[in-house]
Amino acid sequence: MTARWGPIALWAALLIYPLAVEATDSAAFLQDVGASLILAAIGASAWNIVGGYAGQVSVGHAIFFGAGAYVPLMVYTLWQVPPLLGLPLGILVAVLIAVGIGMPSFRLQGHYFSMATIAVAELVRLVVGNWDLLGAAIGIQGPATARGWWDLIFRSSVPYYYIFLAVLALTLALTYAMERSRFGYYLRAIRAGERAARSLGVPVRTTKLKALMLSAGLTAAAGSLYAFKVGFVNPESGLGILVSVQMIIIAALGGAGTLYGPLIGAIILIPLQSATNTWFGGGGSGLTYILYGGIIVILARFEPGGLLELWRRLATRATHAA
Amino acid sequence: MILLQVLVGGLLLGAVYALFASGLTLIWGMMNFINFAHGEFVMLGMYVALVITWMHAGPEAFGPAATVALFLLGVLVYMSLIRHVLRGPMLSQILSTFGLALLLRYSAFAIFKSDFRTLPDSWLSGTIDLGGIYVGKPQLVAGVIAGLLALGMHLLLTRTALGSRLLAVAEDRNAAMLMGIRPDRMQALAWGLSAASAGIAGALLANVYPFSPEVGQTFALTAFVVVALGGFGSVPGAVIAGIAIGVVEALAAYRLGPIYKDIVVYGLFVAVLWVRPQGLLGKL
Amino acid sequence: MLLETQDVSKAFGGFVALAEVTLAVEANEIVGLIGPNGAGKSTFFNCIAGDLAPSGGRIRFDGIDVTHEPPEARARLGIGRTFQVPATFEDMSILENVMVGAFLRHPQARDARAKAIEVLRLTGLEAQASQPARSLGTPGRKRLEIARVLATEPRLLLLDEALAGLTPVEIQSAIALVRKIHALGITIVIVEHIMEVILTLAARVLVFNQGRTIAQGRPADVVSDPKVIEAYLGHRHGGRRRRRT
Repeated sequence: MTARWGPIALWAALLIYPLAVEATDSAAFLQDVGASLILAAIGASAWNIVGGYAGQVSVGHAIFFGAGAYVPLMVYTLWQVPPLLGLPLGILVAVLIAVGIGMPSFRLQGHYFSMATIAVAELVRLVVGNWDLLGAAIGIQGPATARGWWDLIFRSSVPYYYIFLAVLALTLALTYAMERSRFGYYLRAIRAGERAARSLGVPVRTTKLKALMLSAGLTAAAGSLYAFKVGFVNPESGLGILVSVQMIIIAALGGAGTLYGPLIGAIILIPLQSATNTWFGGGGSGLTYILYGGIIVILARFEPGGLLELWRRLATRATHAA
Repeated sequence: MILLQVLVGGLLLGAVYALFASGLTLIWGMMNFINFAHGEFVMLGMYVALVITWMHAGPEAFGPAATVALFLLGVLVYMSLIRHVLRGPMLSQILSTFGLALLLRYSAFAIFKSDFRTLPDSWLSGTIDLGGIYVGKPQLVAGVIAGLLALGMHLLLTRTALGSRLLAVAEDRNAAMLMGIRPDRMQALAWGLSAASAGIAGALLANVYPFSPEVGQTFALTAFVVVALGGFGSVPGAVIAGIAIGVVEALAAYRLGPIYKDIVVYGLFVAVLWVRPQGLLGKL
Repeated sequence: MLLETQDVSKAFGGFVALAEVTLAVEANEIVGLIGPNGAGKSTFFNCIAGDLAPSGGRIRFDGIDVTHEPPEARARLGIGRTFQVPATFEDMSILENVMVGAFLRHPQARDARAKAIEVLRLTGLEAQASQPARSLGTPGRKRLEIARVLATEPRLLLLDEALAGLTPVEIQSAIALVRKIHALGITIVIVEHIMEVILTLAARVLVFNQGRTIAQGRPADVVSDPKVIEAYLGHRHGGRRRRRT
């Protein structure tokens, strides 16, 4: 029952959310949180493709997010063209980086890939942070005022919310199609047992690489959307380790390797993060990350399948008991 | 002359890298597991030293205190967390220590704040003139002790009965069990040793550099580079690679400036991955 | 000749696991590999399957030199294998497991599913298709592995101790399945410890000892060969540490 109506109810709720909170006192704030939620869900869903489905745990996905955030704003800074035009270029850069990381490390054991992602992310963050052309530590900005709709500068969060929602829908639709295709089955087989997968003819290395490229492209798109909305990026907000952490924890909490896991994770964590930031003020971010660390450890130790897996187990137990 | 000084500094620092990287590679070789929180163990070693100074004890207490504290932490982490995730999927294995790293790092931020700390002066402060080369006393002590300990770890693993038991578990768990060795106990011990090696390295470095909770991440990455260059599971490899990285870093800092030293080291990692992933002495 | 190995050797450091093993397998044969523990059977197996690269010698499949081909390429050429310790995809359903195999020759999901169901029917697993693989016991997992590799439409099937740990009833059932597979025209090379299985199934048997082949021929002949008897008896007191291959 829930299997069919759940997603429909979810999408309906997401569609009307900004309008539903319009009447409240803190409408602007709530709509902003909503936009951040959807954006976080996009990034986590993108990570999910390579980290969840294929089981190749990237801990440096910020590199792709950062590429997607920096390139459009660079394009604007250099040539004053709308950042939107830089979106495909950002995706291309991210995909190339993905190939650069994946090709050598996918020959090796899984850990090398994880180490490589964090090393490259840190490397690029340091390089960008010291490169004046890219804004160094200060960062770069997009257009201050809109010259037209194409600059994607809106005063309200609501247009952003719906743009993000559309991109999320696209991302999930892609994931859904992938799940049912040979590519999707091969990814899951790789996660479940590489050696066996190989013996069945699965081209493990190229499949992993394709998954990483797809994931990188989608993550870059999320980075671009972030840049359009916030209008600004610096090494910390675009390439910092916390960007990577957030993607991972959101996907893992909801259920890595499931279609809706990342969205569920975002729905729980982003409002929570917002609340702790408000209650504890600036110092709250430290506590937030202690919380994140704790949640990740607990997930790893007790329920690696995340909340969706927990739900499924409880549901099966309930139907068996009934 | 300056160059020689830089090289000596790099060698001494490299010895410390060799020490904590040996701990990381021991675990990797033994359990096929990468401890993403290893850098935080080093960082905690530094803070143990800080706490010792608060208790008005001298630097001679740093090492023993860090050894004991981190050894216990290592065993605790193994027993409560690692032991369970080893049987699980790769995702939970990687997430477990990744999450632990965050937990440790931000807890340290919460307790000790983000200010960079330096330790008060003691008998360990000052410089020594070694025939025209000026070496800081803390650096010299750190490098020499670290070098000896790294060597000691290698000897422990290859020359003692305990060491061969550890290696037996690494090689073939089931066979080791049949020989009466308890793999669980050996693995807990390995975690204790690994954490202790990181802790001592941290305690030694606490005298050398100002530190804050964020340094854990840099140490972790340095450890990865050393381990990748030295080869999976190879302690001698980690020692050689550690010293090499120390020297490279010192030279990079000298020629290009301190900002670029990290870039060079991480860039080296990427190069190793592309060109010789099995490292100097390891096998894939 | 479907499979041909020439002087295949494999050394791990100083330890020689295989020395100059030569074997020719004709299409549609069933060949058995037997020998005491640590004799090199699994190592040889893994060399044919592509999991290990031989230190020397050549392996030819249907005339093509596959000595250094990775397992994926060999699967595409038509070599399939099962694993000594079943390596089923635990979190996926039984049907999904087999579909992974079926996708090799049927890139479209619909066709792969149809093929998978057909194979499940053949191997008697159809009723459990939607259950997770981890709900199966060891005999079920072994059967699932066989179904999964069958879906890749192999011409040569390498069975690695597929019948170990089964009860006598399960063994009979497994033997029947192997015969069914053979009747489809698939060539089979089987590593086995259980003598009755080899004697029943294999037309030809190759005996390994300490990395070499010491006898070859019909099961009945080989079993009474004094060299073979000595190899088995001699190894009961062997103290050589077993190397993981």
